[in-house]
Amino acid sequence: MLDSLMLLAALLVCAAGMGWFALSMDVHWEQVRGKAPHPRALVKTLRVLGAAALFVSLVLCLAVDSASMAVLVWLMAVAGAAVAIAFTLTWRARALSVLVFWAGPARR
Amino acid sequence: MFQNFRLSMAWLHTWFGLVLGFVLIVVFFFGAMSVFDREIDRWSIPASRFEPQPMPSFDKLLRPIFEDMQPLEPARAAMRDHVNGPLPDKFTVPSSWGAYTTHRDPVLSLFVGYEVPNAKLPETNIFALRTVDPRNGTALPDDRLKVGSGFFYPLHYSLTLEWKNLGYWIVGFAALMMLVGLVTGVVMHRKLFRELFTFRPNKSTQRSMLDMHNLTGVVALPFHFFFAFTGLVIFAGIYFPVAHTQLEPLHEQHEVIDAQKTGLPHDRAGVAAPIASVDAMVAEAQRRWAAKGMAGDVGFLSLVHVGDRNGYVSVYRAGTDRIALTGEGIHFKASTGELLREDPPPTVVGRINEFLTGLHLQHFRHWLLRWLYVLGGLLGCVCIATGFLFFVEKRKRQHAKQHSNGARLVDALAVTTVTGMLIAALGIMIANRLLPDVMPAGWPWRGDMEQYCFWGVWALAMAHAFWRTAPVAEGHLAPAWREQCLAIAVLAVVAPVLNWITTGDHLLRTIGNGYWPVAGIDLFMLTSAGIALLAARKLKQRVAVDAHANVTRAEVNHA
Repeated sequence: MLDSLMLLAALLVCAAGMGWFALSMDVHWEQVRGKAPHPRALVKTLRVLGAAALFVSLVLCLAVDSASMAVLVWLMAVAGAAVAIAFTLTWRARALSVLVFWAGPARR
Repeated sequence: MFQNFRLSMAWLHTWFGLVLGFVLIVVFFFGAMSVFDREIDRWSIPASRFEPQPMPSFDKLLRPIFEDMQPLEPARAAMRDHVNGPLPDKFTVPSSWGAYTTHRDPVLSLFVGYEVPNAKLPETNIFALRTVDPRNGTALPDDRLKVGSGFFYPLHYSLTLEWKNLGYWIVGFAALMMLVGLVTGVVMHRKLFRELFTFRPNKSTQRSMLDMHNLTGVVALPFHFFFAFTGLVIFAGIYFPVAHTQLEPLHEQHEVIDAQKTGLPHDRAGVAAPIASVDAMVAEAQRRWAAKGMAGDVGFLSLVHVGDRNGYVSVYRAGTDRIALTGEGIHFKASTGELLREDPPPTVVGRINEFLTGLHLQHFRHWLLRWLYVLGGLLGCVCIATGFLFFVEKRKRQHAKQHSNGARLVDALAVTTVTGMLIAALGIMIANRLLPDVMPAGWPWRGDMEQYCFWGVWALAMAHAFWRTAPVAEGHLAPAWREQCLAIAVLAVVAPVLNWITTGDHLLRTIGNGYWPVAGIDLFMLTSAGIALLAARKLKQRVAVDAHANVTRAEVNHA
């Protein structure tokens, strides 16, 4: 049970990480946040957050399974997360605003 | 030949991708289905719908079954050309007995290899196969097809073209060129990271197809690379058959030396000997695993040189909790139960090999990873399918002007291998539920009939694809896509309903009992029906837009 929850967490954190990476790109930022400013410092923060999230997700995978299996789970989770974020950007882009909840309202 | 490197890479990617894509999409799709091969087996053989079982008692249950097993007619027919003179009615010298199971197998697969007298080549074996219920030893009928592990899985790695191993070679070449396709694709793709998350369905079809092609190719790049590569590693012995060609004497010598080193006899002694209690040996093996802190179930149990003084029993631990299929082999002298050898931990090379093959063959217990593999496989299918569509979209108007049928041909083949393949797969599931329990005398075996239905349905889908892609030659969208999507939507509902009618296992019952192997297959098909319906609706909208655009274009031309 705990293992399943940890793996679920790994998937969610992984998706958040890919979401942050996407938000660090101008095109996707605009899709999600409209004309809200996208300063360089924020871009950097988003990238750091993205990398940290992917790392945390890997650690969670390693905590559940042996290293050889955990690496496979993590690589596939990254792929799944990337697809999920890409499709969210296509059809429900604004939903990703939750990932930058501290940055104030979007501007359209 | 080309102006620059990128263009030559593009040429390679386009043409090899197109030709081998038709093979690769079959490999990807049935590979993805094979992730749940045991579950598809449960669906297709209702008698096997019960919980997975551990390896049963050898002494009480398995031994009499092994002794009773004889090669069936198909194996005998295949052997006739390899023997001088006639085959004996009954084979009497068993060279090996084996039983393999995983944590997902309710039924147990057994094999017996017999020495073939008067064989043209030394060490020729003929095999008898049987699947039994490990709770009571009842055999499953031989004429039944395990649609998952017995058909979809071989289709994945050999296209079931057994003649001269042709299928293995085609799939192997396709996998090799797929590695090339991945590299050339990355070279061609200028915005690998910048467009990682980009899919724009509202742009032109050509653009959105390319978006999807790039997206599905890039996000699952590690998966695509590793599966093509490890697939080649698994069959390296077929692609580089040196052990039985140039290096045959060396190979034989190595086996003999290996046998001296391990103490496991290479040949029969020619002196008959009884078999001691194998259950006691299994218990001892399990005790030794537990002592190493690796308590586990038996995955593979085998007897070599059965009934001979040199006979030995090998017990392997199931790889349920890790990537390697089986391991920690412990070997006993069959006649006395004396310990002959405990396999040392694998070498680094051995470990890498176990990891590469194990990650592809996946007999471990990890349901999330299993589903992620299905996702990877289906992403691969989408990548290939959108590759076809991009090819067609890019050329169809130009081909229409030149009165060329190139785009139409590719579109027809794409319909055949994308939607047509799904229809064929559903066709075998439906045939599996509709064919009579036992075929009437004079008919092929039931399992063979199911396979003929699969190919027959696919041929029909292909004929439909070629007929209903005619508008592509005029630069329009082929109605074949929408019609086949509708067919999928219908068939993918019919199959679960037939499962209900013929076995009584409807979803409320299977989910209520928590019997996920069958519930999962039904739900998967119903979901496919929903997606197919959605796709058909979208395609209808496209046709409307397409027609409108053509009218406008015609008006502009008139003005």
